[in-house]
Amino acid sequence: MTNHWIDLKNCDVIMVNGSNCAENHPISMKWITEAKLMGGKLVVVDPRFTRTAAVADLYAPLRSGTDIAFYGGLFNYIMENNLQHDEYVKAYTTASWLVTPDYAFSDGLFSGYDTATAKYAADKATWAYQIESEEQWDTTETGKMAWVNGAGTPAFTTPTIKTPKKDATLQDPNCVWQLMKAHYSRYTPELVSSITGMPLDRLLEVYELYASTGEPGKAGSILYAMGQTQHTYGSQNVRAMAMTQLLLGNMGVAGGGVNALRGESNVQGSTDMAMLFHIIPGYMSSPTSVKHPKLADYLSTETPAGSYWTNKPKFLISLLKELYGDYATVDNDYAYDMLPKYDGSNHSHIAMFEKMYNGEMEGLFCWGQNPAQAGPNCGMERKALEKLKWMVAIDLWETETSIFWSEKANATPADIQTEVFLLPAACHYEKQGEIANSGRWIQWRYKAVEPREDQKDDLEICTELVLKLQDLYKAEGGANPEQITELTWDYLDDAGHADITKVARALNGYTVADNSLVKNFTLLAADGSTACGNWIYSGYWNNNDSNEPADQPTGSRNDVDEPGEGLTEPIGSYLGWSFAWPVNRRVIYNRASADPSGKPWNENKILVKWDGTKWLRNDVPDFGFQVVDADGVATPTPPNSTAFIMVPEGAGRFFAPGMADGPFPEHYEPFEAPVENQMSSTQVNPAITIYPTAEETRGTADEYPIVMTTFRLTEHWQSGVLTRNLPWLVQTMPKMFVELSRELAEEKDIVSGDNVVIENKRGAITAYAMVTDRVKPFTVSGKTVHQIGTPWHWGYAGTCSVGGSANELSPNVGDANTMIPESKAFLVNIRKQEV
Amino acid sequence: MAETAILYDASKCTACKGCQIACKQWNQLPAPLTAEEYEFTKSYQGPLDLDPDTWLLMTFSEVSMDIGVEWNFMRHACFHCTDAACEMACPVGAISHKDNGAVVIDQDKCIGCQYCVNNCPFSIPRAKVIGGTDYAKSFKCWQCFDRTSADKDPACVTACPTDALEYGDRAEMVAKAKARVDTLKEQGFDKAEIYGENEVGGMHTIIVAHRGLEAHGLIRDPKVPVATSLLDLAKPLSAVGVGVVVGALGFSFAMGSKYKRGEHSYDEKTDTWTIGEVE
Repeated sequence: MTNHWIDLKNCDVIMVNGSNCAENHPISMKWITEAKLMGGKLVVVDPRFTRTAAVADLYAPLRSGTDIAFYGGLFNYIMENNLQHDEYVKAYTTASWLVTPDYAFSDGLFSGYDTATAKYAADKATWAYQIESEEQWDTTETGKMAWVNGAGTPAFTTPTIKTPKKDATLQDPNCVWQLMKAHYSRYTPELVSSITGMPLDRLLEVYELYASTGEPGKAGSILYAMGQTQHTYGSQNVRAMAMTQLLLGNMGVAGGGVNALRGESNVQGSTDMAMLFHIIPGYMSSPTSVKHPKLADYLSTETPAGSYWTNKPKFLISLLKELYGDYATVDNDYAYDMLPKYDGSNHSHIAMFEKMYNGEMEGLFCWGQNPAQAGPNCGMERKALEKLKWMVAIDLWETETSIFWSEKANATPADIQTEVFLLPAACHYEKQGEIANSGRWIQWRYKAVEPREDQKDDLEICTELVLKLQDLYKAEGGANPEQITELTWDYLDDAGHADITKVARALNGYTVADNSLVKNFTLLAADGSTACGNWIYSGYWNNNDSNEPADQPTGSRNDVDEPGEGLTEPIGSYLGWSFAWPVNRRVIYNRASADPSGKPWNENKILVKWDGTKWLRNDVPDFGFQVVDADGVATPTPPNSTAFIMVPEGAGRFFAPGMADGPFPEHYEPFEAPVENQMSSTQVNPAITIYPTAEETRGTADEYPIVMTTFRLTEHWQSGVLTRNLPWLVQTMPKMFVELSRELAEEKDIVSGDNVVIENKRGAITAYAMVTDRVKPFTVSGKTVHQIGTPWHWGYAGTCSVGGSANELSPNVGDANTMIPESKAFLVNIRKQEV
Repeated sequence: MAETAILYDASKCTACKGCQIACKQWNQLPAPLTAEEYEFTKSYQGPLDLDPDTWLLMTFSEVSMDIGVEWNFMRHACFHCTDAACEMACPVGAISHKDNGAVVIDQDKCIGCQYCVNNCPFSIPRAKVIGGTDYAKSFKCWQCFDRTSADKDPACVTACPTDALEYGDRAEMVAKAKARVDTLKEQGFDKAEIYGENEVGGMHTIIVAHRGLEAHGLIRDPKVPVATSLLDLAKPLSAVGVGVVVGALGFSFAMGSKYKRGEHSYDEKTDTWTIGEVE
């Protein structure tokens, strides 16, 4: 979330699109209810009528997989009717920036597409801005970037600052505003209605209500989850939401933002810690052997000319100092060579299982993950697991993955040679540590009870593994032994067990010379004098006087919402409760909550305000608001127009040259779709990767005419490993089911309670029929399209409730940028199971 | 002790069932352990009805609309009536009112006659055989009297994420409910009404039903069966023997005035949910 849970109470309009927050994030409704009590409106856009829709002021059904058409229509509606927040758009976004005349778009393809590789040109030359002037970083002794030449700082080529050409009148045909206007003029309400299946009058009703937040001082929030991301254009869905919020001036304001509701209590923390192949801690790119074989390559290519990310070398060197301690010196490039480098190709979940399926992997740790049930095309993923020599599952219960070889999985154990281990893990009450919630609050929690018997907490398991590996490499050597033997792993207590408070110190960062915790990441350096495991967490554990979590910012628990100095009304920031990264900031880009002169758009919901001499603050400012000299004297920095300090442009991007599949979101149909694309003859996102196993099992609308989507329920959790073993929860939702419309049920002679077979080329499952008007057919380009939905919580493991896994049917194809699987729109057929 | 009440505001409820689980947890009510013991309920309602180990059940009913549905939720549990039919019908004084208005069954005194089960206008108490006896005793929500007498909110109230559930002074809850109904009417919920203020002598569960009582499956103007009242009158005589009461109960059956709720059911053909009717 760019904002946070409590901030939802500040919204005038909340649009829930691709999320079912009442069911999957029940606590969100506390704050949404509060917003509604103060006159706020709740809009739910969803293929299914959900428990969130049940309490909405307005519900609009949308065929799964057509979000970009919906947003494209919204842009068109806003721009045609001049409903954008004009001053905001002009001051804080790239609307006026000029793009090269080489940029083009035709019949669903942007310029630079290479049909041979099925990818856009890597240099994105035709998506570049026109450049007015160029200058270099000022690295002179008194310059802002003098640190580059400091002793101990590794040498790298500093980037060139390119100032773009702009047209403040927004009239130049090559300016972003005009390009965007032209692109989305094609998305007429009638066409959008025909694509999405949303009735035209309801579509316009939603547009009108949400566009009302473009009025200065009004705030609209968009809440989303996997309904937006699990598509072959999921990243572009997110882009579309960001563009909506920029158009309406909703970014950086209280009650605004683009708010990803995280589907797991600590998934924010896991991405922060880079549990993904393409990043290292703190959202820095993983080094590749292609682009950055040496440290200088990394720093030269990954350090942007502008934005706060210009400090990246400080964050990277501090990370290396934490990873390799004294071994990391300027002479050995701070042990950069020790970092694993990948080949630049995709190694995400889908790609990894493709490799596994082809016998290219030997072993796998499944740490709290259950791909045999939750992975896309999970039947194929189970076949891939069979190719492994060994697999370790670490979980609270037996999972579908840990028994993928068993009769329960319809497998023949004698035929499978994989050696499987199941390590019992401690649950969240049995270990201490921190959870980072969707609002980026890092909240410490203590252990409540000791783990039972041989259960261990994850850090202890990991520690034993690392120490054992270090012993083995020390004793036996091997390829690059220093990579393991020199790795810092001193996070131990006196008894030699894992001590998570020591990890917390490392994440916060400290000065190497005296091991003293740094106040925050502004004090990190690129010269080896500081170490920090994750720069964005810096400041969350910075109390040098205590090692008690409760005495640290992450453990702070002041539940009084206090207004900032000089302000009278608090805004729900609760700055004394836990720590939000970065630097305890609750609303990202909060500079945009005030006009260029520093006057808040809404005087009743102030985040920051320039009072003529200084900044008044209900939140930690997301901009340089003062300069503190060596004596600690602060001089306030007067307002300017840079509201987005984390993007190189310094301005909100309507045009995003960094995307793999186009600078503007464009509607394509899902990998498997019931209809042809009405926007262009380019049926599917042209930049996605389709592996052979996906292509072989691809279904067509002739054979499989029904759209299926997957969802979660309040009563169950993820792959159901926890909840299907808890009788109280099973009783509230005991069986796997499929929601289908009355119309489809009649057509297929199905009544509620029947067993139904759902099938496509990837598999077949059975589920109980739940016939309901909460699901209705869509009219798409004049034809009836049926859609069904099933929860994905069930599987063959567990004690109280077993059932078919929805992911037997979902395709192993993913988004062009992130490779997140397309679980939310694919094709199936259904029939009544003969008894 | 002043009279207290639980306020349930259906307009704020998302039917997350947090209250239902909290009730199970605090009162340590078991659920079946094996998959075979569960049935598909054809609905989000689970289980389908109250039972001796389920004292609070979120109910779901749908009304089809042009676009979407009206999905109406209700917290189905004992209303803790002032004129409590169960208490009147109990021949041995096992059911009583606490000072705060909670209606509580004392299982030590319960003789398993199930008159409460058969006389409650809302079909709330349910009976099951418990250890050491060979007859079924009655169970229902007791408004977590152990918690409230220790100055804590009932378990269900503590679990509610949206403040759809509150607990406090009854007069205050009634006032809040009335104000909320007024607001909802202004917002276009023409049928919004309060339930429990005056019904059966006044309930200790106050409900805001934003789509009207029927939509939420509430019985309009519920009555204690005439014969049940007679049982209450007959109580002083019951010192002589329960036979008199049994006789009176027979009279109530004969009069056909016994209230009983049918089961909630769903008809696929007409696609209608039927909230258990009063028989």
